[in-house]
Formats: sequence, C-alpha cells, structure tokens
Amino acid sequence: MIQVEQLVKRYGERIAVAGISFRIEPGEVVGFLGPNGAGKSTTLRMLTGYLPPTSGTIKIGGIDALSDPIGARRQIGYLPESVPLYREMRVEEYLRYRARLKGVARAQVSKRVDESLQLATITDVRKRIIGQLSKGYRSRVGIADALVADPPLLVLDEPTAGLDPNQIRQVRDLVRSMAGKKTVILSTHILPEVESSCSRVLIINQGQIVGEGAPGELRSAGQGAQVFTLEGRGDRERFESVLKAVDGVKAIIDVAAMEGDGLRIRIDAAAGPVDERIFSAVAAAGLVLRGLKREQASLEDVFAALTTREPDVSAEPEAKAEPEAKAGEKS
Amino acid sequence: MSAILTIARREVLSFFVSPIAYVVATVWLLFFGIVFFWLALMFTQQPPSANTNLIQSFFGGTMLFYLPLLVFSPVLTMRLLAEERSQGTIETLLTAPVTETQIVLGKYLAALSFWVVLWLPTLFYVWIAASTGEDVLDYGAVASTYLGVFCLGVQYMAVGLFMSAVARNQIVAAMLTFLVLGGLFIVGLGTYTSTGDSMRAVFEYVGLWTQMAAFAKGIVDTRHLAFDLSLTVLALYLTVRVLKTNRGQ
Repeated sequence: MIQVEQLVKRYGERIAVAGISFRIEPGEVVGFLGPNGAGKSTTLRMLTGYLPPTSGTIKIGGIDALSDPIGARRQIGYLPESVPLYREMRVEEYLRYRARLKGVARAQVSKRVDESLQLATITDVRKRIIGQLSKGYRSRVGIADALVADPPLLVLDEPTAGLDPNQIRQVRDLVRSMAGKKTVILSTHILPEVESSCSRVLIINQGQIVGEGAPGELRSAGQGAQVFTLEGRGDRERFESVLKAVDGVKAIIDVAAMEGDGLRIRIDAAAGPVDERIFSAVAAAGLVLRGLKREQASLEDVFAALTTREPDVSAEPEAKAEPEAKAGEKS
Repeated sequence: MSAILTIARREVLSFFVSPIAYVVATVWLLFFGIVFFWLALMFTQQPPSANTNLIQSFFGGTMLFYLPLLVFSPVLTMRLLAEERSQGTIETLLTAPVTETQIVLGKYLAALSFWVVLWLPTLFYVWIAASTGEDVLDYGAVASTYLGVFCLGVQYMAVGLFMSAVARNQIVAAMLTFLVLGGLFIVGLGTYTSTGDSMRAVFEYVGLWTQMAAFAKGIVDTRHLAFDLSLTVLALYLTVRVLKTNRGQ
C-alpha cells in the first residue's frame, strides 16, 4: 500500500527526515513511534502530500505521489496532528463538505456521512457546531473526516492526543476494527497504544528508522540485557558483596528494605543463565533466598534503548546530549 | 468544477454565519444609503442637467463611492486564505484531492459572490431614481454601470485574495489589500493632475475613477476591460503560485 524510498526532508541546514525507506502492505496497522521531534509528523505530511519531500519517492497504492498527487491523495484519509476544523460549521455540514471535496458522488454523500459518524461514535453531536464541542469530540470529528470518503489508507497523526482514557479506548478499538479492511498508519509517542493496536511498529528517531518489527519481536530484541528482582532475607552488605561477585552481574540497581529484615534487590545482568548462578551463589553463602524473578523487558525499555542510543559509540561526547535537545522540538 | 463549487459554497456559508458579514453589510448599506440620499437631495434642488443624472453621479461621480470600497473590499477578502492558515485548516484542504487552482478559483468565486450580494440592494436606488426622477433613465447606461461595478469587484477580489495568501494573518492581509487598491486609486488620480498627454493616457488606463465614470455614462471601453482582466489573471496566478510554494510552511 505504501512504498517509501530514501525519503529526505531538509529545512535549510536542519534535516528533519534523513532518508527513510519502508513498505506497508495492505491491511496492516502500523505504528509510527518516536519521541517528539523525531520526524514522525514530517514523514506523515510528506506521505499525505502536504509537504513536498526534498528527495526520495513515495508510492501510495502503486501511484507515484509526486507525479500524480491528486490520485495518491484520493486514497488517503488523513487526520493531522492539530485536528484542524472549521469551528463555525456544524459537524454534519462539515462532513458533507469534506465528502464532496474528496469526490464522493452526490447520491452517496448522506450514506457515507452517516457511516463515518457512526464509526467515530459522534452521531449524537451531528447537529452541533464544531467550535462548541469538547476536544475529544473534535478529534473524533477529525477521524470521521478521515473515514468519510472510505479511503483504503488511513493516516492518523497522534489520534489519541488530548483524549481521556475512555475516548482513547474507543479510538484504539476503532483502529483495531480497521485491521484487515484498511491500511492504517498511526503515529504516537505512547507505547501501550502501539502494543494494543498495531501489527507492526516502525521506531523513528532523529529522522531515521532505528527499529522495526512486531511489538513482540521488538520486545525480545530488547532483551540482550536483563533485569532480575531478588527477594531475600539477611544482611544487606553481605547480599551486595555476594551478588557483585557473581559472573554476569553488572550492577545492583537498587536495594529496598522490606518487612522484618527482608530485602528486595534489583540486579542489572548480562545475557545468559545469570539467574542460575545468582541462585547457587546466594545459597552457598548461606543467605535466605525467597524469590528470583526476571523482569520482562517492556516495549518502553526497547524504545528508550533505541531512541537514546548514541549514533556511533566512538563519537564525541556531544552526541549524547543530542536526543534530549531534539526532544523539545515539535515534529 | 465540482470541487470549485464545493469550496465556494462552504466559503459563502461560513461568511454569512460570521458576524463580520452582517457588520459589513450594515455599514455598507447605511453608508451608500446616506450618500444616495445626499445626492438625491442635491439633484432635487438643482435644475435637471443633460450632462449627468442621479444614478451616474452615485456610481463613480464622487469620491464617496470609491473611498468606502477601498475599505470594504479588504474586509471581504482578508479571511479567505489567511484564516485557513491561522486555523491550520489549510492542511486538510491541501491534502484533499483538489488542485491549488481549484482552491483559488473556489475562494475567488465565493469572494465575487459576496461582492455581488452586497451590491444587489442598490438596485432599489435605481428603482427610486427611475420612478421619481424627472428625466427618463437610460437602462443601457444602468446596465453598463453595473458591468463596471462587477469589473471593479473582479479585480478587487482577486487582489484581496492574493494578499490573503501572502499575509501572515487577516489584519495584515486587509492592510496590504488596502495599500494596493488605494495605491492604484491614487495613481489613477494622476489623470487630473498630469500635464503630459502620454502620462495622462497611462493614468487613465489604470485609473478606476475614469473607468467607473465611463461605465456610468454607458461607455464600455475594452481597454478598461483588458486592464481589469489582466490584473485579475495576474493576481489569481500569483495566488496559485504562493499556495504551491508555501505548502507546509
């Protein structure tokens, strides 16, 4: 459905998107994940034809978006990040206008508007003036607009930003219900969103794709390192010295005192059967071990690892500060 | 064509639900009503003259006709594209399957509709003049007068639309439109001050006063039409260019 090759967007000296390539197959729900300022919105704006790319190619449903922009845009329902709407119009009036603008046949307009109102669950506010609606309703009006011409591809730029938890769930359910029927690409910096609704994730940072795969795959990719939580009883200093001596233990992250003289210790360890070695070392030292558990690496850890990683290990120290500096900018 | 009409229709709807439409329409009618009243009063106290009549003087005979137009026109056009940009709706508009040319023509058509709607009530003045005047109204001249008014709108709205595309916000758009239209008007006044024949010909060509005065007398000069048309086409073409180059900025 989408084929992007070596897409670059440059604003003078600043490179917003630094040559990214990816493919999205029909029916996929793909999450575009990255910190603020990573280039998510810029990429989506190039896909939808709002921004002309500096270089690279974009194909939407086999149509070259740069040589036939109108043909490509016909296939896209787009929800911009800021959800721009004409505040003075009524919801239904606005959707009818958008449907006509997107070339929906006159006879089909009413049917399409009704359907999109239903899908976005805003049928109850169809006669209301958009400017008087709450933010949650307004963003669903934006979603209804994306759906109104029944396009094969939906591009949703942070569709759940500013919504309350109930509304977020509704939007996620809606996105999930599209799986298989439509191709969806949504951007977000909220991880549970990706885990709950996407079949594939593209992680973007500093204008480049730094990770790609199903949410599950990415999670296991992040398990090169592991974190154990140990619960035991005994002298704290003895525990620490015994653990530090175990082969594979990199550091003690923190130690928390529990009821009585119980302790909970979190251990940062290298890959491998370090848990077995910890077990026998603690037992040999005569300390009491109540439990030893490996924490599952969350997508959050993967994300943090991928997006804060230095571009080059041998690079000069400034490289480290760069991700933080960019995080403040808006994409 | 359908996209152009869709855009124009939305623009007209939005304009007529905004308070600005009613403020403009009220001030407009009040102002031209008073001007018409003064002129009518003046004509009743004067012996009828063969050179001029009430309708002719009203349309283009006095400064009172042009000055308000220089103020009203920018107000009609300032929102057109500047508001789309400030509200961010330009993004949904430019990512819809429509070309920049369709957008510009749709907006332009809407602006022309405002212009026409605001002039319609003045047909009432023509009726008053026709039913009470001592001399017989020349309907050919009335028709050419309205053609002149329409041509004025054709170029004023195009200039205003262009400024609305260029300006950062509505206020700046209105100011720029006022400056350009006012500038053109002042250049036209050179007709009355310049001494050289060739210079006067140039001033007459661009001058709106000379143009309106001629139309009001029933003289449709194609040179004036050519000027109006070329200014309009240039402004609309530039608007499309600006929309294309400003994408996403």
